[in-house]
Amino acid sequence: MPPEPAVPALRLRGLGKRFGRTVAVDALDLDIPAGSFYGVVGPNGAGKTTTLSMATGLLEPDTGTVHVHGVDVWREPARAAALVGVLPDGLRLFDRLTGPELIAYAGLLRGLRPDVVAARRDDLVAALDLGGAGRTLVTDYSAGMTKKAALACALVHAPRLLVLDEPFEAVDPVSAAAIRGILRSFVAEGGTVVLSSHVMALVEATCDHVAVVAAGRVLAAGTVEEVSAGRGLDQRFVELLGGGAGPVELSWLRPSSG
Amino acid sequence: MAATVLRLRFALLRNTLRAEPWRLVLLVVGVLWALLALPSVLSGAVWLSGQGVDVAHDVLVVAGTLLAVGWAVVPVVLPSLDDSLDVRRFATSGVPPHRLVPGLLLASLLGVPTAFTAMVCLAPVIVWGGPGTRPALVVAAVLAPVLAATCVVTSRVATGAVARALGARRAREAGLVLALVGVLALVAVVAGVGRLGLEGALERVPAVAEVLGWTPLAAGWAAPAALAAGDVPGAVGRGAVAVGSLAAAVLAWTRLMRLAVVRPPAQHGALRRRTDGVLPVVARVARGRWGGPGGVAATAVALRSLRSWTADPRYAAALLGSVAAPVLIVVLVATVVDTPAALPLGLAPFVAGSIGWGRHDDVAYDGSAFWLHVAARVPGWSDRLGRAVGVLVWAVPLVVVVGVGGALVAGRADLAAASVGAGLGVLGAGLGVSAVTSAALVYPVPAAGGDPYAAPPGSVGASLVAQLVSSVATAVVCAPVLVAYAFAVWRDARLGWVALAVGAVVGGAALACGVVLGGRVLDRGAVRLLTRLRS
Repeated sequence: MPPEPAVPALRLRGLGKRFGRTVAVDALDLDIPAGSFYGVVGPNGAGKTTTLSMATGLLEPDTGTVHVHGVDVWREPARAAALVGVLPDGLRLFDRLTGPELIAYAGLLRGLRPDVVAARRDDLVAALDLGGAGRTLVTDYSAGMTKKAALACALVHAPRLLVLDEPFEAVDPVSAAAIRGILRSFVAEGGTVVLSSHVMALVEATCDHVAVVAAGRVLAAGTVEEVSAGRGLDQRFVELLGGGAGPVELSWLRPSSG
Repeated sequence: MAATVLRLRFALLRNTLRAEPWRLVLLVVGVLWALLALPSVLSGAVWLSGQGVDVAHDVLVVAGTLLAVGWAVVPVVLPSLDDSLDVRRFATSGVPPHRLVPGLLLASLLGVPTAFTAMVCLAPVIVWGGPGTRPALVVAAVLAPVLAATCVVTSRVATGAVARALGARRAREAGLVLALVGVLALVAVVAGVGRLGLEGALERVPAVAEVLGWTPLAAGWAAPAALAAGDVPGAVGRGAVAVGSLAAAVLAWTRLMRLAVVRPPAQHGALRRRTDGVLPVVARVARGRWGGPGGVAATAVALRSLRSWTADPRYAAALLGSVAAPVLIVVLVATVVDTPAALPLGLAPFVAGSIGWGRHDDVAYDGSAFWLHVAARVPGWSDRLGRAVGVLVWAVPLVVVVGVGGALVAGRADLAAASVGAGLGVLGAGLGVSAVTSAALVYPVPAAGGDPYAAPPGSVGASLVAQLVSSVATAVVCAPVLVAYAFAVWRDARLGWVALAVGAVVGGAALACGVVLGGRVLDRGAVRLLTRLRS
């Protein structure tokens, strides 16, 4: 791994968000070093999606700051947006376009030149095996295919930081392996990946760093070795969440993996 | 089961009224209107009871036909069905659709329009209330609920069938052919009436009513009249037609519901395929002056918006309501009766207005897919301009054709330029206003892939505000256009070219202001807009 530069790829300070009376994210601090493959894990409702939405400029935080490679996401949104690729979870796509059209659309929205978009789209269609769907509209895609098309949209403008919310949900194992390969080579080239998941095994196998989030706060963060402390991430996760969260809760974590 | 569904209906009504006081206002206004309209129906029925059996038969049959056609057509043109009892919501309960039918039918009878219709359907009871027509009175009383139920079920079948037709390509083609046949038949009828003239046509009413009285449209209205005239077999036959057509409509409704559960409208039929309509076109356009990043984004947005008009049933439904229906109605009416010239002359501004004004829900229709624009930080003006161009490319030629056509139908070819000018001005004003309001106000709309004729629960208050603001603003902005047009029409047709110039300038300026202003609103508020869209 290259030596960590001083400026983190993503730097969250005092990030907070409430929905009515519910505190979703509570003064959250997190540094994600450039060039890391970072997993954010936590139980459902821990505030992962809210945190990642605020980090990528899709949701306004109540308090706190977000910096991407030193650029303030909420002060200089256009500069920051060019650095970040986003895969949100649970949001729709413009599903009356075909997959290749959607990828091109995402690139064009960012103002890329049409010839550049054309070349990148063809590469992405090949790499993510979207060619078989041909001219089918995204609305007729399966969930996994839709996920892959959305991932391609996040990649098309060649960002330095990728923020992916549940990227492997509903994706078949072959596609998941292909996606992991793409993400690994992206990190090897100096890019940074942040992904959220509630599947420990996946994070342990894929990421080099991990943060455990619960109730809108970071319980532990660091390299996978540091956080798991020689006991395995599952075990550590149970300990961090405290007595109430025993193996009964973990039993639903594993079978829900796609 | 029926009782459970009814209880559910009441619980839903109570909760929506609690959450949305707006609905209560609507409800009260509706009830007041119905109460005010009731006396005229009553006095009409009383008057009719003093007329001869033949006159009463003709009037009741024609009125009944209009009522039935209205129930079939109006909900398709003005989509506003409450979908809180959509049969698909019962899909996971495991209750087969046919067992839900009685409850859903009873639940859909609860409503101001339905209650009013039920009262109107009781009118024959008053008409045949005289001493000499007791048997007819009994038959009318028995058939009244059948008539009311037929109206309600017909409206459900009509919207259900149209929603399916808009959702699937093969069905859409079949529907198009059917619609074409229907229009041709209508044109033939209208041309025939036109040849006879209004007086001649009125003389034909008894013959027409005689035929209509045997059709499902009005058999239930004709049956008591036949009995009053002493025609017992005729009464039995017509009664059978009425009951039989209600049974057929209920069957059709049940089948549509089963289809809706098994194969939702948006997901049946063959896979939809399209050739690439985005990148090659952008590449062609962007080689010219539109080289900047904002221009590329705007072009892409325009092309995506064009795709929505051809591939999204919600947009198709909007087209049906705001373009096809008014044009057809005016052209047909104008060929029959001596309409005031203002009707066809007003067609271009009306169509243009409803296209432009309708775009205030453009961002709402994107739904949470709008995140792609937010994540890319698309400049606000690119987003606004793209959406406007996506409409202009087809709406401008359309308005020109409708404007010239309207002037020709009115027999005022000298006003063609003025009519086109008014249309273009109103189009620009509507699109300009919508460019601002759709960036500022969003409200729940049918989701992509959902039933285009269902209003999602919780939308009435918010959509009323958005629609009211958009209408008032559009009216204010296009006032100079309409004034210039009015001068050309009523003062001096030579002012038509002035009206054209005023329309083009005001429309263009309103659109430009809308794009700039709406773009600024969007730049500041796109993230908050997304937050509301995703909830």
